[in-house]
Amino acid sequence: MRATLERAAQPRTRRAITRPQLIKGTVTAAIILFTLFGLPEFMSLYYVDTMTQVAVYSMVALALGVLVGRVGLVSLGQVAVLAVGAWVAARLLFATTQPYLLVVLEAGLVTMLAGTLIGLPALRLRGLYLALITLMLAGGITVVLATVNFPNGGHGFLGYNGSQVHIPPIRRPSIAASDPAYFRYSVIIAIVMFALVLAHIKTKPGRAWAAIRQSEPAALAAGINTWFYKLWAFALASFITGVAGGVLAGAIHYLYSINFPAQDSITLLAVTLMGGVFSLWGAVVAALLYQFLPALLNNWGVSADWLIILFGVGVLQVLTTAPAGLADQVPKDLARLGRFLRRRLTRGSAP
Amino acid sequence: MPPWVDFEPFIVSGLALGGVYALSGVGLVVLYRATGVLYLAFGAVGALGALIAWQLTTRAGAPGWAGWLACIAVAGVVTLGYGLLFGPALARRDPLIKAVATIGLTLILYGVMDLLWTTSGGQARSLTLPTDNYTFTIGQIQVTWTQVIALGAGVVLTVGTAAFLHYTKIGTAMRAMANDRDITATLGVPVRKVEAAAWLGCGVLSGIAGLLLADLVALDATTLTFLVISSLAAVLVARLRSIPVTFAAAIVVGLVHDLLTPIVALSNYRDMTPFVIAAIGLLVLSRHQVIATSREEA
Repeated sequence: MRATLERAAQPRTRRAITRPQLIKGTVTAAIILFTLFGLPEFMSLYYVDTMTQVAVYSMVALALGVLVGRVGLVSLGQVAVLAVGAWVAARLLFATTQPYLLVVLEAGLVTMLAGTLIGLPALRLRGLYLALITLMLAGGITVVLATVNFPNGGHGFLGYNGSQVHIPPIRRPSIAASDPAYFRYSVIIAIVMFALVLAHIKTKPGRAWAAIRQSEPAALAAGINTWFYKLWAFALASFITGVAGGVLAGAIHYLYSINFPAQDSITLLAVTLMGGVFSLWGAVVAALLYQFLPALLNNWGVSADWLIILFGVGVLQVLTTAPAGLADQVPKDLARLGRFLRRRLTRGSAP
Repeated sequence: MPPWVDFEPFIVSGLALGGVYALSGVGLVVLYRATGVLYLAFGAVGALGALIAWQLTTRAGAPGWAGWLACIAVAGVVTLGYGLLFGPALARRDPLIKAVATIGLTLILYGVMDLLWTTSGGQARSLTLPTDNYTFTIGQIQVTWTQVIALGAGVVLTVGTAAFLHYTKIGTAMRAMANDRDITATLGVPVRKVEAAAWLGCGVLSGIAGLLLADLVALDATTLTFLVISSLAAVLVARLRSIPVTFAAAIVVGLVHDLLTPIVALSNYRDMTPFVIAAIGLLVLSRHQVIATSREEA
């Protein structure tokens, strides 16, 4: 079965690049170049900071999207994983003088280890039970973090000093000390993470995940080590979320446990579903919904509660009518609108 | 370890809390068995009811009983409305999808509550039941009638629900649907009506729980919305199935949580109680799991 799958996939990889692929690639490259060089130039610092958060949360949504969309595992505790990544990065940044990139990588690896250790027993469960156990574990992590606090330059293993008056900010890499530079830095790391996921999806793990998502018993019968590939997905998602946590630490300089409330995991799942879990663009859409829209509304003086209500409606809408989310629905709707307008125009111009 | 006397008041408050968790848990199990929906909006609906009761009694000057009835009615109507609107549309989907859809309802209700009854900067609200003023003492411990009612409601509703499922026609229909919805429908059971009854019952229970928790814990949208997690822990230990196990687990969650309060080293971690109990319960119970392929797999 695995061999058949591989053989079936081979012609696709060897085929020459088709026109839609070329267009897609060009558009993606243009968007990336614009984000890196154009965007920071004409945004206020407020929006540069917001967009840095978007880059961070696009990674978190990407990781959740892999779990939900590719493997069919729903995690209700991704923000707690992000908090673990941020904690590890902050601790290492205060304790050592290692290059920032290395710390981010280490934060990802430690989080991956933690996620895998937690995932090991949890993966015995499936479906609803797995989702609920992640909710419970995330709740537990949140309580622990609220008690031990985030490192603030203190000593000891936890690095927290409650009586510290002057709290030093978490450092940034020397090449990206300013806000626009740090924004570019975050975007580049996010792109690497997206590429990592793309590499997984296009190869063996991606095919195994697809089989597991369709039917776990069938995947098992086809000789796929379902346990191993599910754990792999958990490890990958934890790694990416940990890296995102590392980037987040430098982005906001000061970390507090109230930045990571357990209910945010639920909102995050909602926006990830709304953005779309079957497309990588869905993660970007989700991050924009999650971080950019609140900033925009805040600027306009509109209460963020309206967004929460919108997200709730969005979840219900996605689950009942549009399972592939906005990333899939909007282009389709636009194409439909385009066809409709073209038809109207041609009809209008004809005598 | 603090002396035993320090623990005594927490036994009472723990039992009261456990009673409310038990009645919430029973509501969740019954709805899950009848419709396959794990109702994650249980806490949010109860919170909405409690806030409306607060609005009616303290702002509009309505008598207390009108507020309580409004709370239970609102919770029942919202839950029934959701069940009628989204129940049929999602009936054939995976239990996981059905549960995630109720997160949508939770977010909507939470947003509405935060918009209408803003917590930040405002004065702390409180909803006190008149039974708080009637107390008696057992040994050295002072007990309020609200606490008695909370535990009593848990016990009565657990026993009552179990009896209802066993001895009434509609209860039998619910048990049949829990086994196989399609066959039950073929046998001539009006599945939609039975489901509606389960939704309404669950909603009423969430209203009662909201009212009691608003008095026993706090009247605050966030707190009440996420307190459902504690009952969820009990439901998980019972594997969404057994009503007696749900009751026992809920009492344990409530008791352990409150009994940890006087222990200084663990006091900060007491909110982890439901998570730890659920995690241990689930992982121990799932030791010998086989892959199920039937629709009933949950």
